[in-house]
Amino acid sequence: MKSISLYVDQDTFLTRLHSFSKLFYIAAAIAIPLIGGGFHLYVLSLLLSFCLIAAGKIGKRILPLIAFSFTIILTVFLIHGLFNQKNEQILFTLGPLIFYREGLLYALKIGLNILNMLLAFAVLVLTTRPAVLVDDLEQAGFSPRFGYMICSVFQIIPQMMGTMNTILDAQRSRGMETEGNILVRARAFLPLISPVVNSSLINTRERAIALEVRGFDSKEKKTFLQDRKLRGADKRFIAFMAALLFASLIWRIRVWL
Amino acid sequence: MALIEVKQLKYRYPHTDKLALDGIDFTVEKGQFIGIIGENKAGKSTLCQAFVGLVPSMFRGAYGGTLMIHGMEAAKTPVAKLCRHVGLVFQNPFNQLSGAKETVFEEVAFGLQNLGIPREEIIRRVEDNLSRLDILDYKNRNPFDLSGGQNQRVAIASILAMEPEVIVLDEPTSQLDPQGSEEVFQVVEALKQSGITILMVEHKMEKLAEYCDKILLMHQGRQIAYDTPERIFSREDLDQYGVEPPVYTRVCKKLQIYREAGDQKEYPVTLSQTVEKRDSFPETLSGREIEKQGALWEEEVSKEQEELFEIQELDFGYTSRKLVIQSLSLKLIKQPTAIIGQNGAGKTTLVKLMKGLLKPGDGQILLNGEDISSKTVAKLAGVVGYVFQNPDDQIFKNKVIDEVMVGPLHIGMSREEAEKKAREAISLVGMTKWEQENPYDLDLSERKMVAIASVIAMEPKVLILDEPTIAQDIKGRKLLGSIIKKLSDKGVFVLAILHDMDFVAEYFDRVIVMAHGKVLADGPKEAVFYEKDSLSTARLEQPHMTRLCEALGYQGIFLTTDDIKDKGRE
Repeated sequence: MKSISLYVDQDTFLTRLHSFSKLFYIAAAIAIPLIGGGFHLYVLSLLLSFCLIAAGKIGKRILPLIAFSFTIILTVFLIHGLFNQKNEQILFTLGPLIFYREGLLYALKIGLNILNMLLAFAVLVLTTRPAVLVDDLEQAGFSPRFGYMICSVFQIIPQMMGTMNTILDAQRSRGMETEGNILVRARAFLPLISPVVNSSLINTRERAIALEVRGFDSKEKKTFLQDRKLRGADKRFIAFMAALLFASLIWRIRVWL
Repeated sequence: MALIEVKQLKYRYPHTDKLALDGIDFTVEKGQFIGIIGENKAGKSTLCQAFVGLVPSMFRGAYGGTLMIHGMEAAKTPVAKLCRHVGLVFQNPFNQLSGAKETVFEEVAFGLQNLGIPREEIIRRVEDNLSRLDILDYKNRNPFDLSGGQNQRVAIASILAMEPEVIVLDEPTSQLDPQGSEEVFQVVEALKQSGITILMVEHKMEKLAEYCDKILLMHQGRQIAYDTPERIFSREDLDQYGVEPPVYTRVCKKLQIYREAGDQKEYPVTLSQTVEKRDSFPETLSGREIEKQGALWEEEVSKEQEELFEIQELDFGYTSRKLVIQSLSLKLIKQPTAIIGQNGAGKTTLVKLMKGLLKPGDGQILLNGEDISSKTVAKLAGVVGYVFQNPDDQIFKNKVIDEVMVGPLHIGMSREEAEKKAREAISLVGMTKWEQENPYDLDLSERKMVAIASVIAMEPKVLILDEPTIAQDIKGRKLLGSIIKKLSDKGVFVLAILHDMDFVAEYFDRVIVMAHGKVLADGPKEAVFYEKDSLSTARLEQPHMTRLCEALGYQGIFLTTDDIKDKGRE
């Protein structure tokens, strides 16, 4: 079955790290430049993420994400460089287009923020099995129902995509054209979506029974197959990030003073 | 005290008038194996759900009488508590998965985690049950990647790991191929040896007769009888309850081979019981006469009739690495043809290629001499009809008649004509009574008939059926058989993928055996069902009748009980 999770199955420092350490990393990597202010802190955060990505051997997987984010960042640069209301100082002109310094600086900040968040999240998403993250959250006290909901999405969506293809074939077999102009495709929409919804409802009813008979509603305290406690490496990692966070705070206070 | 005591159990679903269970009353001792039989809508699945307390706790409705299991009243015990004592396995192997676990190991552990069983105990029980069901090798595989048979074993392992005293199986093999069903039956047999109490709903009477201590016969929610397989299957009134006794019993009834048990005749119900009575059988039986065989038959294929499909050196693979169909060549003429083979043999892929849903990698498919690869699926729809395995993949209208009219309208019929054709098709599949109903209010077997009608209404020259017998009881199977016969008589070429050898033997003329994307055997059923090597390579079985007559040592060809004539004592 095709997985919709981005997780890359390998044994690296990052995959071994507790998901909470990585969640803390996301928080810290985003907060450090925001608290500290200044572009060099963005560079620091990005550098940190790149180091982790290299250590986690997920560089190749990150490229498409960066490429995708660049289309958004480019749009931001265009809009703010040209139209930001604080624009005063002309930086350069490109034919009839006039780019202003204020707008471009603002766009740079947004762009760095986007990139920073993207890379920080990539560190978590590409190196953590969704099931493990949910397990960790449940062990920390989240409701198993919430956990089930998240995990089932990763299993059921690919299954639904398969069903959708079968339904498409079944309707084409009865002479329905599914290819052609927008009107043809719009007409084909209902015969496709209705069986998907109906069969999902039937499956859901059966799945509800399956869950009931497997004690899903049991009042007992759930057992976990793995005791995922923070290990030494996790603690050192969190301490390091906390120190950086603290340093950025000091930096900010020093600027104020 | 008996382990299970059902007393005057009555139940009615919400918003309905009729009782789904009406005065069910029986007891089961520990370690017994009970079969539950009856036609569709007899109340079998409802009864199964009552055992685990889902009826009434999940479905609500009106409930009366008592169902006691191990001293607990099922209706008043929370399902989460009752599930430690009673496990339920049902038809669809995929819908029984929790849908949230990535590996077979985690899937089997899911129920135990919910019950708060200590971790070491979970690991021990999961490992034990994975080996018990012979699926330890798959423990790190994603359950959704396994076949139906393998998944049904995962479902059984998941229930057994919870160590219930009673396991209820609701048609666990109805959606599986012969090998998958056999795997499940072997497991069930092993469970019986281990002393677990089993209740099983099943349409495969030969199997039930072999394993059951007692059988509960149900009809329209009522309990007709609860007795030994011999006494149940020896009843003369089974026909009116939509039940057909095992082949062995039917043969013995025909030849009046029985033993007196009090004032009742008791017929043999299993192969071994029948073979024990060999002395009472006639010395010889002539069996079926074959009109054309071997070379003669091939000659007919090439000469007598105009060939419809010609498949030449066909290659196809979903990925470039593995071919599902390998240099397959086949000529098909207008005679009812069945394709048989295990899951993964390439049967569905082949018919999808013939329907144009897939494009050949290499080679070509000619329909009336014309290459179909240039035509779109929609354009082929009026000529080649294809009924999918799961009717829910196509139904989207609120009325049966509207659903059946979809195809005819698509291929350009006028509204009046489409309605006329739809009415005829609905009548052919015996659904006229439900013409104005919402298809989703019908049960699976009826929805399947709606799907068949919706294709027949387009009046295709070729009708391809993918596993039409799934979820059909004996009435449904007979109706299907008559549809196939009527359409063939009208000149429609019916091609079906089937797992039910007895059905193939009864209603089809030509049989094609497939394995690993190749044709292993092809010819008249009278010849193919005796090609034991091909059948065993394809991991298929002969029809029950054929096996019985071989066991009895008869020479000749026997495929259905009709091959033994009433006056056939020689």
